[in-house]
Amino acid sequence: MGKKTCNVKINGTNCQAEEGINLVEACLQQGIIIPTLCYLKDLNESGACSVCLVEVKGAKTLLRACVTKVRDGMEIYTDTERIRRARKVVVELILANHPKDCLGCEKNQNCDLQRIAYELGIENIRYPKTRQKDFSIDNSSPSIIRDPNKCILCGRCIEVCSKIQEVNAIDFIKRGHAMQVSTFFDGGLGNSECTNCGQCVLVCPTGALAENNSIGEVWRVLDDKEQIVIVQTAPAIRAAIGEAFGFNTGVPTTGKLAASLRRLGFSKIFDTQFAADLTIIEEGSEFLTRLKNNDKIPTITSCSPGWIKFGETFFPGILDNISTCKSPQQMFGAIAKTYYAQKMNIDPRKIKIISVMPCTAKKFEALRPEINSAFSFWKDKLALSKKEYFPDVDYVLTTRELIRMIKEAGIDYANLADEGFDDPLGVSTGAATIFGASGGVMEAALRSAYFYLTGTELKDIELNAVRGLSGIKEASLEIAGKKIKVAVAHGLGNARKLMQQVARGESPYHFIEIMACPGGCIGGGGQPLPVNDEIRKLRIKALYQEDRSLAYRRSHQNPAVIKLYSEFLKKPNGHLSHKLLHTHYHKRQPVKI
Amino acid sequence: MKYSLTKHRPEKIKDRLRIDNIISRHKDTPGELLNILEETQILSKYNYLSPAQLKYIAEKTSYPLSVVYSVTTFYSFFNLKPQGEHCIIVCRGTACHTKGSRRILDYLESVLDFGDEKINEGEKVFLTTKDKVITIKTVACFGQCALAPVVEVDGIIHSRMTVEKMKKVLSALKKKGLK
Repeated sequence: MGKKTCNVKINGTNCQAEEGINLVEACLQQGIIIPTLCYLKDLNESGACSVCLVEVKGAKTLLRACVTKVRDGMEIYTDTERIRRARKVVVELILANHPKDCLGCEKNQNCDLQRIAYELGIENIRYPKTRQKDFSIDNSSPSIIRDPNKCILCGRCIEVCSKIQEVNAIDFIKRGHAMQVSTFFDGGLGNSECTNCGQCVLVCPTGALAENNSIGEVWRVLDDKEQIVIVQTAPAIRAAIGEAFGFNTGVPTTGKLAASLRRLGFSKIFDTQFAADLTIIEEGSEFLTRLKNNDKIPTITSCSPGWIKFGETFFPGILDNISTCKSPQQMFGAIAKTYYAQKMNIDPRKIKIISVMPCTAKKFEALRPEINSAFSFWKDKLALSKKEYFPDVDYVLTTRELIRMIKEAGIDYANLADEGFDDPLGVSTGAATIFGASGGVMEAALRSAYFYLTGTELKDIELNAVRGLSGIKEASLEIAGKKIKVAVAHGLGNARKLMQQVARGESPYHFIEIMACPGGCIGGGGQPLPVNDEIRKLRIKALYQEDRSLAYRRSHQNPAVIKLYSEFLKKPNGHLSHKLLHTHYHKRQPVKI
Repeated sequence: MKYSLTKHRPEKIKDRLRIDNIISRHKDTPGELLNILEETQILSKYNYLSPAQLKYIAEKTSYPLSVVYSVTTFYSFFNLKPQGEHCIIVCRGTACHTKGSRRILDYLESVLDFGDEKINEGEKVFLTTKDKVITIKTVACFGQCALAPVVEVDGIIHSRMTVEKMKKVLSALKKKGLK
C-alpha cells in the first residue's frame, strides 16, 4: 500500500511530506532541524519539553512539532520572531530549576540542554528557581549516577528502559515540584531491576544520568610506581574512540588507541580481544559438549553483563542454559593475574588491571564477588590473608572516560603514529574484533565450531545472516551433517522474546547470542555521544573492515591462545579453565526493598 | 498448617488471599491497576499500601514495580504510610487561610500526640498520632471557598470551622488520640 503524500509549505517553500508523520520529521526532510530536548523518533513523542514550537497558519497558538501531524495544505513556519521568543522562554523556564554547574558536569559539551541554550542565545535566566528542596543524588549503582536535580523530565530514559530494553526500572514518581524519574520506592538504581546497560545515559539530554566515573582512581594507580598497571581495551573502543578526536564515524583507530594508552603510562597495553578468542575456545567447547549430550540446549552467550543481570532478574528458570564462561573482560583479568603474573614472575598483588569498555554494566560486573578467581588461585601459593584480597579487574573505564583522560594528558591523538598491542595478551584475531557488533560472537563461535566438528576450516566465514541491525536474526548452518540453528538478539526487549521461548521450552535454536545494547557493544552505554542507528551501522562497518584486514580471522588460530593452553590451561573446559574462566549465576530479587 | 513467609510478602496469608480475590475481579478491565490498588488500600488495616503489598500486586498483575509506584505516588488518594482510624484534612487554600485555618491546624497539633513529629508546611503535612487513631493532612483547596475555613473529617466536609467546633468534632471521635 502506497503512503499518501500531502502538499505542505514550510517557511514559504512548497514541498511534499508523507501524510501522518510529525512536523519534526517533515521539517528534517527539508533540511530544517527543529530543536528538541525530549523527542526520540518512534520512541518518545510526548511533547514534554515544549522546545520544538512551530507556527502553523490558522492555529491560535504555537504548536509542538513532535506531536503535530502533517496535514494537506499545512503552512508551517519554523523560524519567526514569535517562535524564537517562545522557545527562549521555554528553555529559560527549564533552566530556572537546572543547576548551573556545567563546568563540573559529566555531560559538559555533550549536553543537549547546554547546546540548545547556546543556540537559542540565552544569556541570562529571567525566572527564579522554584524547587524548594534539592533532590538527593542516587549513587547506589556502581555503573550509573542519577542526579534528579539536573533532570528536565523529558521521559526519554523511561521510554528506552521500557520500550527498547523492557526492563522498566524507572518511571516518573510523585507530582508537581516533587516529580522525578526514579525507581520503586525511590530505592535507587542499585537496588532496582536496572541492568546497568546505560542506554538511558545515551539518550539523556542533560547530565541527570551519567556513568559512575573512575578517572580519579585510575590516575592514582598510574601515578603509583610500585604498581604494574595493565590496560585491556574492548573491541568496540577502536571503532568509536576516533569520533572524539575528529575522525569520521566508522574509522577504526586501533593503532592510535594503543599508542595513546602507552603515552598515558600503562605498563602493558593488552587487548580484551585476546580474551575474546579465549572465550570462543571455552564457549565453543562447552557448546559442542552440550550439543553432543543434548544438554542445556539452547546455549546462550554470557559476554554481556547487562544481559546477565537481566536474565538473573527476569528469567531465573533459564540460568542453566547460559554459558558458564565469564565475559572476555573477566577472563582477561583472571589470566593476567595468574598466567601472565606467573610467566613474568610478578607478584599478582602488584598488578592492577584497568579495562576500557564501551559499557557501563562492566563496572558492575567487575564487582561481582563470585566472578573473581585470581585471588583464590594465589591464596594458598602465597599464603595470602583475607585483607590482601584483590579483584580480577580493578577499575573499569568507559570509552568516554578514556577520551577525557587522553585529553587531560594533552595527547595529540589524531597525530599519533600507529602502534601495536604488547605480547602475549595483546595478540588477537578478526573473530575477536567482531565481538563488538551484534552477531559477532555467534559468527566467531561458528567459525571455530565448524573447525572443531569437521577438522577443516569454514571457507565462507562471513555470516551475513547474523549481521546487521534487525532485532532478532536467525541462521542455520550445516556442520558435519548436523543442522545447527542459531539466533541473535540485541536490545533486551528482543532478548526477552527469545527467552520467553526458551522458558516455555519451545526454542528451536541450538545457540543464542544476546547483547544488551542495540547494535551490540559498539552502541554500549559508555560509548561517545551521540549514538543512533546511522552511527551504529558505521561503527559496525569499522569492525568488519578491521576483521577483513587481519592475518588470523579464527579464534582457534590465535598463537598466543594456543600457547596459553600448552603452557598453562592444558585443555579447554579443563580443571584450571573451570577455576579461572567459568562462573555461575544466581536468581535475583527484582528490588531489594 | 504453617506458612512460610518472607519479608517481601504481605505478612499474612489472609492478606494475599484478599489481594488475589481483588485482582481476579478486576483483571483485564480498563483501569484495573487503579481499582486493584484502591480496593487493596481500603481493605488494609491502617488504610495504606505497604511495599510488600505493592510488590505482590506487581508480581500478580505483571505491571512493572516502577509503574505501580508511579501510579500510587501520582494519586493523592493512595497512602504509603499507615493512617489513623480517622482522617482530618484541613484546607490551606487562600480563602481558608485568611479565615483562620492555620489556627485550626495549630490547635490540632497542640492536642494530638504525634510523638516527635511536627507540622512543617514546607512539605506535605501528613501526621498520624502515636496510637494510630487520628491522621491529619492538609490540602491546597477543596473548592468550597465560600464555606471557609473548611475541614474534612472522615470524608464529610465541615464548613466555617472554628477551634470550638473542632473541639466538639474531636471529642465525638475516639478520645484515645488526645494527649
